[in-house]
Amino acid sequence: MPHDDHVMLESRDLAKTYYSTEPPTQVINGVDLIVRKGEFLVVMGASGSGKSSLLYSISGMDRPTSGTVFLEGRDLTSLSDVEMSRVRLTKMGFIFQQAHFLSNLNIRDNILLPAFKAAPKEKDAAVARVDAIMERFGIAHIKQHGITQVSGGQLQRASLCRALACEPSILFADEPTGALNSSMSTEVMEALTEVHSDGTTLVMVTHAPACAARADRVIYLRDGRLVDSRQLGRWSKEQSTQREDDLLAWLRKLGF
Amino acid sequence: MNERNSPYFRYAYNALIKDKGVNIALAVLLILSAFLMVTGSMVMERSIGSVDQLFEEAKPPHYLQMHKGDYDPDALTRFASDHPEIDAWLVEEMLGFDSAAIAWHRPSTGESGDLADSLIDNLFVTQQEEFDFLIDETGAIPQASRGEVYVPVAYQQSFGLQAGDKLAIRTDTGIHDLRIRGFVRDSQMASSLSSATRFLVSEADFQELGRAGGGTPEIIAEYRLTDPSLASEFQRAYEGDKALPKNGQAVTYQMIRLVNAFSDGLVAVAMVFLSLLLIAIALLSLRFVIRGTLEEEVREIGVMKAIGLPDQAIVSLYLSKYRVMTLLACIIGGVLAVIASGLLTRSIQVNYAQAPVGLTTILVPVLALLSVYLFVIAICRGVLRGVRKVQVVNALVHGSTLHERQTARHAKRQARRARRTSLASYRGRSISRRLAFSDLRAESGQWVLIPIVFFLGTVLMTLPLNLLSTFESPRFVTYMGAPESDVRADLQFSKDVDSVRADVLSSMRSDGQLTQVRVFANELYEIQEGEGWETLRVEVGDYSGATVEFLEGGRPEPGQIALSVLNANRFQLSTGSKLTIRHGGESATVVVSGIYQDVTSGGHTAKMQGEVTTGASGYVIYANTVDRADPAAVAAQYSERFPAATVIPMREYVQQTLSHTTGAFRSAAIMSFIFGIGVAVVITGLFLKLRLTRERRKMGILSAIGFSMGEIVAQVKGKALLTMAAGTLLGLGFVATGGESLVGLFISLAGLGIANLSFIPNLLLVYVAYPVILVGAGYLGAVVLTARLHGADKSLWLRA
Repeated sequence: MPHDDHVMLESRDLAKTYYSTEPPTQVINGVDLIVRKGEFLVVMGASGSGKSSLLYSISGMDRPTSGTVFLEGRDLTSLSDVEMSRVRLTKMGFIFQQAHFLSNLNIRDNILLPAFKAAPKEKDAAVARVDAIMERFGIAHIKQHGITQVSGGQLQRASLCRALACEPSILFADEPTGALNSSMSTEVMEALTEVHSDGTTLVMVTHAPACAARADRVIYLRDGRLVDSRQLGRWSKEQSTQREDDLLAWLRKLGF
Repeated sequence: MNERNSPYFRYAYNALIKDKGVNIALAVLLILSAFLMVTGSMVMERSIGSVDQLFEEAKPPHYLQMHKGDYDPDALTRFASDHPEIDAWLVEEMLGFDSAAIAWHRPSTGESGDLADSLIDNLFVTQQEEFDFLIDETGAIPQASRGEVYVPVAYQQSFGLQAGDKLAIRTDTGIHDLRIRGFVRDSQMASSLSSATRFLVSEADFQELGRAGGGTPEIIAEYRLTDPSLASEFQRAYEGDKALPKNGQAVTYQMIRLVNAFSDGLVAVAMVFLSLLLIAIALLSLRFVIRGTLEEEVREIGVMKAIGLPDQAIVSLYLSKYRVMTLLACIIGGVLAVIASGLLTRSIQVNYAQAPVGLTTILVPVLALLSVYLFVIAICRGVLRGVRKVQVVNALVHGSTLHERQTARHAKRQARRARRTSLASYRGRSISRRLAFSDLRAESGQWVLIPIVFFLGTVLMTLPLNLLSTFESPRFVTYMGAPESDVRADLQFSKDVDSVRADVLSSMRSDGQLTQVRVFANELYEIQEGEGWETLRVEVGDYSGATVEFLEGGRPEPGQIALSVLNANRFQLSTGSKLTIRHGGESATVVVSGIYQDVTSGGHTAKMQGEVTTGASGYVIYANTVDRADPAAVAAQYSERFPAATVIPMREYVQQTLSHTTGAFRSAAIMSFIFGIGVAVVITGLFLKLRLTRERRKMGILSAIGFSMGEIVAQVKGKALLTMAAGTLLGLGFVATGGESLVGLFISLAGLGIANLSFIPNLLLVYVAYPVILVGAGYLGAVVLTARLHGADKSLWLRA
């Protein structure tokens, strides 16, 4: 099938089964999904519906049990571990619910890590770029801090900076506000919205309708199957309440 | 409540089957520890029991004095009547035959051979009537009939002799044939360190052998005392009496017992020592595992505390698993020990006696097991005390075992560390390597187990190897009070010893294959000790040129004497001290020129510069071979030409003299090699398994930001390799420095005659092959364990 230039990511008949349980658990069951370039897609669903598993399968963190995933037309499921890690390094960025960092490195070193890894010969350029990103997201003043010395919101913004360090084509976020209070959540969502407005494609898993309302499109999973999707269009601050109400109504209909 | 329904039992059962790899590794360590501890203690108990049993049956003398040549029987009778502390006494007459003069033949199969490989003296005796009996295999006191001989059990084993075999003794007037009736145990000479052994013949055969010539008549004056503790005092009285025969070795009851216990107890002591080392390693691992479990299950602990379970109950719950594991290990180790100790004590039982099974036979292993169990559980309980410090909120909310102040301290430490290391200024190419190094620096406390284990493993493996190579080295002769040379000829006291010496010497000196031929005479001097005189074996000869290595001082000039370490200690003399000696009725004062190490003649020897005259009790001739001449061939040639002389290559002399010791060291070296490798692999596997579980999050992060599994695994393997290599290098350093002193100390305490041991290591094995094998085995374990990571779903590491 010829590749559509507007498509950033596509999954076809994607399935994932965990064999570590008895009996084996099928968490994703034949998901066909297209994420367009520059789109902000949110994945929703009840706990255990397979949201995170879908995110990690389409991002190449985990190998799907069957089906295919294409990133800009390139079949990710056929790549070797080394090739896949190169794709994650240069084309993808990740943000997790818990801000996972290496505790032995300070905030800036953690953010620099992927940049240094991607271009070991261009360290000065990487340092300048990372410093600029940290400045932009308001955490330049904590760059020498250890990860235990800053707030959850600052840490999650640092996660975003690390995800952006290699200027990725697509950003994956797994409940990035799940462990934050409401003000910190807003802080992080503002930053993500800003990144999206720059043209970065964003796929985010969340439980929070207020966060999901910022997306261009929301898909809903149940028992590993994609059961519905809702186009929300471009987000604007003025319409945020209305969008949230519409989304909630739709979610309620789906049994959320 | 039914025991099986107890929550403790269910928890222990579930915990044991949950993490099989870790639990099996821990159990193996504990089983080995228990096994070695019990085997060691059982072997000790059996050895002491066997020696005691033989002493009970054989009634060895409390004091004995050997003597060669004429003596005054009246003087002995007079001495006995003057000393009421003597309970019984006797003079045992013996005939010594060289090993090469005794051959055996098996009529049923036609097999034959001789005893020439044995270097110890073969003494033919008759059975005693009052004490110092030779005991047969059933514990009875056998009487040899005419034409029969009872052979020492040691020979039964080393030459594979059987009852019914014929023994042929070469005398001056022909061959004297005897039939082997059975085998005897000898309380005096049972030890493998003993320099002689006794054959039992009938009175008629003994007289015939004496008349036939070829044997060296010797006597032992033996005394049973009313109180064995008076032996030392009695010895002084005996040695103070000039008229008594005493040109040979004097031995007390305590010495016989000590030598017997020492020679066969060494293995048991080594086992207990090894067991203690293993227990230390097992405890280190247990501590690591328990602390890891507490960290991993901190939320469960928080919940248990929250619902009101007391700390003691939580500790008991976790302890139940280790109770079951240690108990099982003790039972399995104990059963294995019963089997192993049976095998290990077989030769002791044959050489000594079947020790009766008594209360101690059961109590000793049970107490050993109990001490292992209680010690391990006490340490586990100590580590689990950490449960008390867990705070409910910190455990449930932050998943931390630390309380608030500890968390703050930990955070500060981490921040300080993070600030110190700046990746921004890193200009190297390999970011992976940089991460591995910074990890190691930050987590050195957690990785320290590996260097410790590899340090111990290296020490465990190389110390016995170094001892073995030292004792096997031809250069070891410097510890035998002999010069480094290629060939050694021994001429024992006999009628024509002087003419044989002259013949051997002139042949050697005119032989183009030999050079630096030196002769030394074994003379019996007397040394003034307090009021009386004691016998001193002195080797007289020319010590100019490189002869013996001296621990302190140097070679003796005329008017000087060099003493062996044990003699120097015995007479409390040092270099420069003056002493009075007597020989042939003439007294002289000589100065100690130096002190050397000697393991021969029980370590009690001396050396004086002087002309070798005739009339000595024996002679030793050393010679070097010229290029290309084979010492073994030369020795064989001289043995053939001079049957009265024992001519052997120096290497063989060292090997034969020390064969028992080197045999024990070889077994120890093989055992410790297997143990060292085994323990290193098990601990590395155990540590890495737990480490990988705890590093899952970190590996997940690295994978998410674009590190390949190959790079992540390489970091783990690199850290493992580095820590293993560091421990191994430290171990090698210790072995070369402190280890040598430590072993030297043990050897000097053992009273072998060595005060300062320098290793003669096999450099290639110790510094190349062993470290490579050890680290290689550990690394292989790391490779196997990390191989599983490749197929894992990395997201699970971050979502857990």
